[in-house]
Amino acid sequence: MKIKRILVANRGEIAVRIIKTARKMNIETVAIKTAVEPSAMYLLFADIVFDNTDDDSEIPVFLNIDRIIEIALKTGADAIHPGYGFLAENAYFADKCLDNNIEFIGPSPDAIYKMGNKTIARRLALANKIPMAMGSEGNIKNEEEAVKIAEKIGYPVIIKAASGGGGRGMRIVRKSEDMEKMFIIASREAEKAFNDPSVFIEKYIENPKHIEFQILGDKKGNIIHLGERECSIQRKHQKLLEEAPSPALDDDLREEMGNMAVRLAKAAGYYSAGTVEFLLDSDRNYYFMEMNTRIQVEHPVTEEITGIDLIEQQIRIASGEELKIKQKDVKIHGWAIECRINAEDVQAGFAPDPGKIEKLNLPDDDYIRIDTGVTAGSSIVSSYDSMIAKLIIKGRDRKDTLQKCKLALDKVWIKGVKTTLPFFRMLVRHPKFINGTFTTSFIEKDIEQYYYNSEYEEMLAAWLATKLYIEENLSENSINLDFSESREINPWLLNKRFNQF
Amino acid sequence: MTTDKPKITRLYTLSSQNRKYVFPLPLKNTIKIGKRQYEVKLKHDEKFGTYILWKNRKYPVEVIRSRQNRYEILFNDISYTFTIETPFGYKRMKVLSKQKGKKEKELIKAPMPGKIIDVLVREGSQVLTGEPVVVLEAMKMQNEIQSPVNGTVIKINARPNSTVIKDDILIEIKVEV
Repeated sequence: MKIKRILVANRGEIAVRIIKTARKMNIETVAIKTAVEPSAMYLLFADIVFDNTDDDSEIPVFLNIDRIIEIALKTGADAIHPGYGFLAENAYFADKCLDNNIEFIGPSPDAIYKMGNKTIARRLALANKIPMAMGSEGNIKNEEEAVKIAEKIGYPVIIKAASGGGGRGMRIVRKSEDMEKMFIIASREAEKAFNDPSVFIEKYIENPKHIEFQILGDKKGNIIHLGERECSIQRKHQKLLEEAPSPALDDDLREEMGNMAVRLAKAAGYYSAGTVEFLLDSDRNYYFMEMNTRIQVEHPVTEEITGIDLIEQQIRIASGEELKIKQKDVKIHGWAIECRINAEDVQAGFAPDPGKIEKLNLPDDDYIRIDTGVTAGSSIVSSYDSMIAKLIIKGRDRKDTLQKCKLALDKVWIKGVKTTLPFFRMLVRHPKFINGTFTTSFIEKDIEQYYYNSEYEEMLAAWLATKLYIEENLSENSINLDFSESREINPWLLNKRFNQF
Repeated sequence: MTTDKPKITRLYTLSSQNRKYVFPLPLKNTIKIGKRQYEVKLKHDEKFGTYILWKNRKYPVEVIRSRQNRYEILFNDISYTFTIETPFGYKRMKVLSKQKGKKEKELIKAPMPGKIIDVLVREGSQVLTGEPVVVLEAMKMQNEIQSPVNGTVIKINARPNSTVIKDDILIEIKVEV
């Protein structure tokens, strides 16, 4: 079925990203206007804007299955792209789309279900001889069983939510005394987050690298991989920077792991874009972790080094087209890095810092790609994620890319909210990041200071504070001082911004 | 104009990391590095907002908050907190800090707004540095808040399922000496 009109069931940069490709393919798009973000950037790009601002439901519309289906039917959309997050990995939603004769741009409901349930995915991987960390065969019933299995595998172990993802419901346990407590916390967290308290146990791999393979499959059973991305720079399982390829892989290991990813996808009857995640230890052993059945935030780095538009492939596959790209056609050119510029306070443990973006100046160059859903004047709202923009840098090799990244980071100018920029400025100068030996424990263990400031920056800030203090406190009426220089300056407002002077 | 007040000749600007900057008054728009003087310019325009121009480079600046002699400045996306003292105030501060002994009570505050999921200690519990005491959920993430000291829990303000704002005191601990 040829897709003619896509409902984008998402917001922010990914909504913009999907609409751009749909346009290129001459497919119409429908975007949803919400009361939280009535003037969001993604609405400007869509052909049709569905006004949902009077929706008084407690669930955000992007999570409201019935409402999304209703909007698709009302606006005559014949397909839905869920983006990432929200309903992207909801098998029931994918099924509902099909029931209503709407194409779901993603894998089959069955594949989402199988890979979404970690214990089923584990069993499937095991049956297909995909390397995996030792673990429990299925879900753990109670604390006693948890202790027993952990003793058998050997500590440290990790407790994971069967329906989990994104690091929630995960607990690392290093000694048996902690097992009971951690089991209860993990199970409770899993129930709260995923409506499913079931957890399982795996051997915990110390200091691994996070390596994931992008795969693409069509409905006729053709499946290929587009190489790996390394996403080891993460904090509490939230990725901050991703790159492709990985400095840790060579062609042989890439081929071997890629083949494993394809084998697993085949076993799951997978089609559309998907990601098979592995952990890689210091001895170059790799272990299957999980499969993500959606387009991922970090997909641009793969696009930049392969030249393949992943959203376009998703749409083509959903319309039933056969995959035209063969494995041998996939070539990796150069290097790409993505920095997630979020509204977060690096100095306060990456706490979200929502607010209005007062100024936004983003660099523009051949080697820079920026995926964003905001402009100056937009707000980062606490009801959604804190992403401002993805800064994607393309270079000849890793060294060249890092050099370009360093330059580009100094050209990003954001005012109004605190951002992760100082963190990336530190990262591109860190020896362990530069030499490529970093692991997922990098942020926790290898960093002394979470941000970078060049010499004299603190001194200049001190100068400014002193200047303000003089303006406010040492007025000439109260003290005998010569303010010849300051007198030229008009008083300014102190509420976050100054008056022009 | 009064003449009985002592003339202030310089200001001591102290960073939260205890670095000291001394600025002679009147404050100049130049800063000396080595033998050279460099000009500092505070500017504002529509495209960039307020910024400091230093050695041909623009640095974004914002005042986050100011209270009495304390200023929090965002400079090139990094926040700095300064306390500004007159020579007299600086001397007094030094004397006071010598007299002040070690902290006896540690207040564990909410690092960010969120919801209390679990309180892992009771009043009277002995805690060790790094031991989780409260589980706080913020932005859909569960965060374990750990005790920064060894000591005894003397008061618990955090209640499971209650919401807290940043800097709410969750737990009070008597520090072990």
